[in-house]
Amino acid sequence: MAQSTPRRIRRRFAHRFQAALSCWLLLLFLLPCRPADSGEPPDWQETLTAARGQTVDWYMWGGSPAVNSFVNGYLAREVQSRFGITLRQVPVKDIAEVMSKLLVEKQAGKMRGGSADLLWINGENFRTGKSHGLLYGPFAERLPNQRYVDWRKPTVASDFGTPVEGLESPWGSAQMVMIYDSARTPQPPRTVAELLDWIGANPGRFAYPAPPDFTGSAFVRQIFYHASGEVELWQGEYRPAELEAAAGATYTILRDLKPFLWRGGSTYPESPVRMNSLFADGEIDFSFSYHQGDASRYILDGLFPPTVRTFIFAEGTISNTHFVAIPFNAQDQAGAMVVANFLLSPEAQLEKARPEVWGDFPAIDPGRLPPEWQQRFADLPRGPATLADEVLQAGQLPEPPSTILVHLEKGWQQQVLKQR
Amino acid sequence: MDPATSAGTGRSCPVRRLLLLLGPALFLILLLFGGGLLLGLFQALGYPPLSAGSTSGLGHFQQVLGDADFPRSLGLTLYIAGTSTVVAALLSLVLALALVNWAARSRLIHFLLQIPLAVPHLVIAISLLLILSPSGLLSRLGSALGLVGSPAAFPLLVNDPFGVAILATYIWKEIPFITFMLLAVLKNIGSELAEVGATLKASRRQRFLHITLPIIAPSLGAASLIVFAYAFGAFEVPYLLGQTYPLTLPVWAYKSYSDIDLLSRPEGIAISLLITGTVLLAVLLAELLLHSSRRREGGR
Repeated sequence: MAQSTPRRIRRRFAHRFQAALSCWLLLLFLLPCRPADSGEPPDWQETLTAARGQTVDWYMWGGSPAVNSFVNGYLAREVQSRFGITLRQVPVKDIAEVMSKLLVEKQAGKMRGGSADLLWINGENFRTGKSHGLLYGPFAERLPNQRYVDWRKPTVASDFGTPVEGLESPWGSAQMVMIYDSARTPQPPRTVAELLDWIGANPGRFAYPAPPDFTGSAFVRQIFYHASGEVELWQGEYRPAELEAAAGATYTILRDLKPFLWRGGSTYPESPVRMNSLFADGEIDFSFSYHQGDASRYILDGLFPPTVRTFIFAEGTISNTHFVAIPFNAQDQAGAMVVANFLLSPEAQLEKARPEVWGDFPAIDPGRLPPEWQQRFADLPRGPATLADEVLQAGQLPEPPSTILVHLEKGWQQQVLKQR
Repeated sequence: MDPATSAGTGRSCPVRRLLLLLGPALFLILLLFGGGLLLGLFQALGYPPLSAGSTSGLGHFQQVLGDADFPRSLGLTLYIAGTSTVVAALLSLVLALALVNWAARSRLIHFLLQIPLAVPHLVIAISLLLILSPSGLLSRLGSALGLVGSPAAFPLLVNDPFGVAILATYIWKEIPFITFMLLAVLKNIGSELAEVGATLKASRRQRFLHITLPIIAPSLGAASLIVFAYAFGAFEVPYLLGQTYPLTLPVWAYKSYSDIDLLSRPEGIAISLLITGTVLLAVLLAELLLHSSRRREGGR
């Protein structure tokens, strides 16, 4: 008490004033370092401040070594040095496991402090999450880098038929490609019908992962498009009877195919990882991937021989956009948004598109970037097995709505696997 | 004070102390396991309802029990757990009897037995996949040596209808465990009883059946029960090495629990509870068996 003389108070005030002044001066120095064209909304600054020091737990499918090293290497390094965010990848086999957990937490009233901050989510789980209110947002339009995204594209505006409405942010896109070894199969089939004939003529040399595996399920949808002879119909209004007929035709094709599959269809690979190792081991002659760049990646990693190539069907293959979402009870929401925003930055998108990294399609529209960045995207080298962008883009089919997807997965279990 | 009561209080004091010492751990186990089971039961019964129109009450159990796949899955799970337990127990018995003299002299055998105990089931499952699959080590070795015509001619041992690789994993993994338990008992009984039997002209077989077996039976039974309970409820090995269909109960539970359709979650929990119930039933049966056999021994 006795020490709080007016002089001491004045001195303390002077100290504070000096400290504040030097802070401001420091800020003045720092400000010009910021990119002039950032044009970031004021609340984004608050998000950046809140995000500093946070640890973002990103729950994602962990089955691809390329994706894992991109996330744990480049991405973790960059968000740490740029934003002071620690990024932790939490690999899961199926993001549905996390959706189950979120649902339990919602039931239990755990509205904050959840362990998952960011999710790599697919269409059917997005639908589940959206309809049960398990997602935070809308947040996508608050990300400054979303100005590079072409939201008019149907594959971006809706995820497997469910409108996105700002509840998830895109970060890449992918297309299904067939994988073969040109040394073993010089003349691969070019249409679905030709592939089915090929399987019949070469028993035991083809396999697909059992749905509900993501890749196996995509193959069933490809057969569904072939069986129905329709693609656009399923995007709009269709009658239940039409779906039943087309689904029935799909199951008939797959049932008839069974005796000609690997092991006579008595069992299926449980994942694309297993299918790829069967392919590499020479047990089967085809693999396929819901990613155009995977085969090149596997060649670079030495898992596939250098003669491996990819092709798409003449009628096209299905493609989609991958998204990230934030759970309703994420502990580090600000950090998750900063990571989602950085994922959309030209730097991260370019790094992700490099074939030796991942070879992922950019989620942003390079046409919206400054010319020098457009040039960098145009100059990207391609992997030995990856098809040219023009070839891929000419054969892109949209995904059917997730209701059809779930219908086909359930039906496959009953009618093809169990044959009831 | 008569000696009986003083002995009684003398015994109750350590019991109380034991309870005090075990209390915190017991409380945690009861809270986490008992609480988890209870919560699971509530969810399987459909409380709280996930959405309007979802079933509550015994509906999920009825659905699972009424499913045409249930008897098949239960049969497959019982077959895998039962076969691997019986084979592992028999082999362990032989192994333990063969090794007991050596184990009494050196500690090396204990150390050797502990190595497989530290290896997770998952690692063994993956190793077997690499060794036994049609494109695996064994088949390539076989075709290189000309034993089988081509890798494709190699017999199907992985993802096969008889679960050969699953059984192999469990048997490989559980033999050291049961042997370890048996050796501990066998070492303690020493050779005196068997020597007495020998002086009474009991044959080797008689000595084994009437002296050794009754003494080690409780340990053998307990160890087998643990192994059975584990194999009955474990998910990863049949998931990796089993067929896509039919499924064992734990794999089925996992599939339902992680289904896109969140409404099939309660079914997954119901299956898990049925697994728990079966294991509890097995424990109860084993207890009864042991009890009655002990009473028979005592009455003799």
